[in-house]
Amino acid sequence: MKKLSRRDSLKGAALAGSTLALASCEKMISSASRRFGQDFPDTVFVAESNDIDDAYHLLNRAAYGPWPGDVSYLKSMGTQAWLEQQLQPETIDDLACESRARRFESVFFKPGNAYEFKENVLREELSRHTLLRAIYSKRQLFEVMVGFWTDHLNIDLGKGDCIYFKPWDDLNVVRKHALGNFRDLIRASVISPAMLVYLDGKENRKRKGTDDVPNENYARELMELHTMGVHGGYTQKDVSEAARCLTGWTIKKKKAFLNRGTVYFNPGHHDDGEKVILGKTIPERETHDGEKDLEDLIDIVCEHPATARYISLKLCRRFVSYDPPETLVSRVTEDFIKSKGDIKTLLRTILLSEEFNQSKGQRFKRPFRYIVSTLRALGADTHAHKPLIEYFNRMGQTPFSHPTPDGYPEEETPWMGTLLWRWNFAFGIVNNEIPDVKLPLGKMAKSTNALSGKDLSAETIAAYLLGRQATENETAAIEEYRKELENGNEHPKQQAELLAVLMASPAFQRC
Amino acid sequence: MLRNITMSQSANRRTFIQNLLTGNAVTAARQSPHTLVCLFLRGGADTLNMFIPYGDDEYYRQRPTIGIARPKKNGNSSALDLDGHYGLNPRMKSLKPLFDEGRLAVVQGVGMDNTSGSHFECQDQMEHGEASGQTVGGGWLGRYLRSHIGNRATSLSAVAIGSVMPESLRGAPAASVLESLEDLELKTRASQPETVARILSRLYEAEASMLGKQGSETVDLLKRVRKIREQKYVPASGVDYPDHKTAKGFREIARLIKADVGLEVACLDFGGWDTHFFQGALSSFHGKKSEILADSLAAFDQDLKSVRHRVTTVVMTEFGRRLYENASLGTDHGRGFAMMVMGGRIKGGAIHGPWPAMKEENSEGPGGLQITYDYRSVLGEVLRGVTGNTKMNAVFPGAERSQIGLIS
Repeated sequence: MKKLSRRDSLKGAALAGSTLALASCEKMISSASRRFGQDFPDTVFVAESNDIDDAYHLLNRAAYGPWPGDVSYLKSMGTQAWLEQQLQPETIDDLACESRARRFESVFFKPGNAYEFKENVLREELSRHTLLRAIYSKRQLFEVMVGFWTDHLNIDLGKGDCIYFKPWDDLNVVRKHALGNFRDLIRASVISPAMLVYLDGKENRKRKGTDDVPNENYARELMELHTMGVHGGYTQKDVSEAARCLTGWTIKKKKAFLNRGTVYFNPGHHDDGEKVILGKTIPERETHDGEKDLEDLIDIVCEHPATARYISLKLCRRFVSYDPPETLVSRVTEDFIKSKGDIKTLLRTILLSEEFNQSKGQRFKRPFRYIVSTLRALGADTHAHKPLIEYFNRMGQTPFSHPTPDGYPEEETPWMGTLLWRWNFAFGIVNNEIPDVKLPLGKMAKSTNALSGKDLSAETIAAYLLGRQATENETAAIEEYRKELENGNEHPKQQAELLAVLMASPAFQRC
Repeated sequence: MLRNITMSQSANRRTFIQNLLTGNAVTAARQSPHTLVCLFLRGGADTLNMFIPYGDDEYYRQRPTIGIARPKKNGNSSALDLDGHYGLNPRMKSLKPLFDEGRLAVVQGVGMDNTSGSHFECQDQMEHGEASGQTVGGGWLGRYLRSHIGNRATSLSAVAIGSVMPESLRGAPAASVLESLEDLELKTRASQPETVARILSRLYEAEASMLGKQGSETVDLLKRVRKIREQKYVPASGVDYPDHKTAKGFREIARLIKADVGLEVACLDFGGWDTHFFQGALSSFHGKKSEILADSLAAFDQDLKSVRHRVTTVVMTEFGRRLYENASLGTDHGRGFAMMVMGGRIKGGAIHGPWPAMKEENSEGPGGLQITYDYRSVLGEVLRGVTGNTKMNAVFPGAERSQIGLIS
């Protein structure tokens, strides 16, 4: 049994007395955020063309789908200006999102202090924080990149003490460098306590005068997954040499309160000898200088052309298609080399490219994007409690829980088995059956101009949701559904379910 | 847009499902997976009062009140002899034929290296398939499914009966949690699920892509499940499942197996085995639960008579109980326990593993049964033996495995 810490007992007491107060606090946040502009505007863009609208397409990829009003906003600003604004997230006012996402205190604690919280609290708060930002932040491209790097530098909360360290990693590795420089990101990740635990870096040592064999787990994944890619041209020898460079980096394990989880370099556990990595020599060091190996190693792998290529390919896969055009990948690769890994430069090249614009509807939404884009399209009000999180579990994309270091797969095949749960998610939300998820469906009908008298035009709603006019087949399907209904009189509930059918349709599974 | 490899993988699965749908029984039967059913007895079940070591007098000295009597002729309240040393709890008599006919094996002295005695820690460790202090990531069944079927997983490849995903399935490529087959339905309220399914089918059929195919397959699957559901399920003749949640779960699993939906793994729970108080001998909680457990397993075995060769059931618990009874006619948390393995491919009719004579110096912790086999040895041997999966290092990394001889 874990000892009940002071904080737990305080929390317990507070909870017992104030479940009601908490619920009404969330209501207040919801209503305040409506006033901060998180409401359905009076009119929204409804697509008129048969092709997916350009602005809608950009929001589908550079954001987690459009929030009501986003398409018009982007159109009024112009693509380039909108993108520049998204690339400077600190200039975007995000008060409404902050009020929902900022209140989970365990997310903002230092690694050592996180031990004050129970594991389930840490897991729940980190998941809710991530989800609420993905849904409500106006800094959407930033959040999308947070998702990308979270996969790229995957850490499973279930391994070892990762759960105590991942919140810090989320803020200080992933979020800090999401739109920054690639080398800085990797440099932060190498000695992030969560990564040192997840890939056993903390066990990687060579005590002076012993035959200690370095632990190569991290060094291998650094090359294979984080930088150069599996066929990046490194050898087993390069992996071993990289592992030698990193010997001695570890974390304080003592249960002494504040120091726990602090990263430090232990010169006595470092291999000071000369190393040769990818043809470059790192000279033998004086013992007190051993930690400089780290910088040299990061330079070597981050500056390797395979890294530029691999990261560019991964970004193109995420933003364009699983098999992106070679023309684009090579341009992005060149930009990576020229800009020395400036992430903003790469995103500009990708998102403003013709190849990007030609790739409409080619990506299959993974469960996370499906759920978040659905909630966004409908302007949902939620505080991301357990019943909502449960849908992520059922679709196999529980936040921060991919067991292997390659992160949740990008391909569509592994996610194909999730359709039934997607469909039932759509029916669940329109029927008001997921506690804590409220949809302003009436407002949506008005804002899209889908209402004439009592009749709801499903075709109009489809054009709003899909960013294009309904196809002939979709129109026919809507008609067929209507004919089934008694005397052609649609019950409002059935209208809502027709909306669910649209969100269950293949077109809405894509982005 | 798709890589060739994924195309051909999915084509295989499609052919397989099409065969199922068109009732191409030969092909379907050849491709039916072996189903592994995992029943977890939550709370630390007292297996010493299920398989009674009547040959050791110490058992009766340690359990003067709750001990179960030695086999007697015509006795309803005495153990049923199994092998001259062990007897079956008479309330579990429905398992006797399974044992005699060689479909039920018992492994004595199974356990793990965790000495905490904590239900939570031990269940977690066991479901994650770890050693104490080891953290591998994901559950053992999640890793098994990933290594065994990977991307070919569908919503019905793995099923957990209940309301939450068990830890053992964490990290599975796909899995469904359901109370019954009724959950495998479109959750519409105002419209008929059939109507919606038809509309969805129309929408997905128009897509010439993997997504289109998958949508149509999912609609077909719903149709099949609906058909299974609509025909009132009649278990094989003479089979009577007990009126109990766990038994109902077994019934749903039997239904899925017979419907040939591609079920690879099914998990279910049976709670309430933490018998510190008034465990009783035969007439109290433990006896009653043991009877339900035995009758459920026996019904499941009988119901699946025609497909026994492709179903294996393992029954586990987080730890056994102490040899000696406590002052409240119960037993406290111990260590080793007896794991049951049942199925057509199992070398049954035997209690594997030595009986550790019940002496203080042989016990683990205070009064716990000595552990002969790490639980991962048993699970690993069964998995390898019945499913042919050889990637046990991926499923149970770092586990040493001893050979038990459970596979016939």
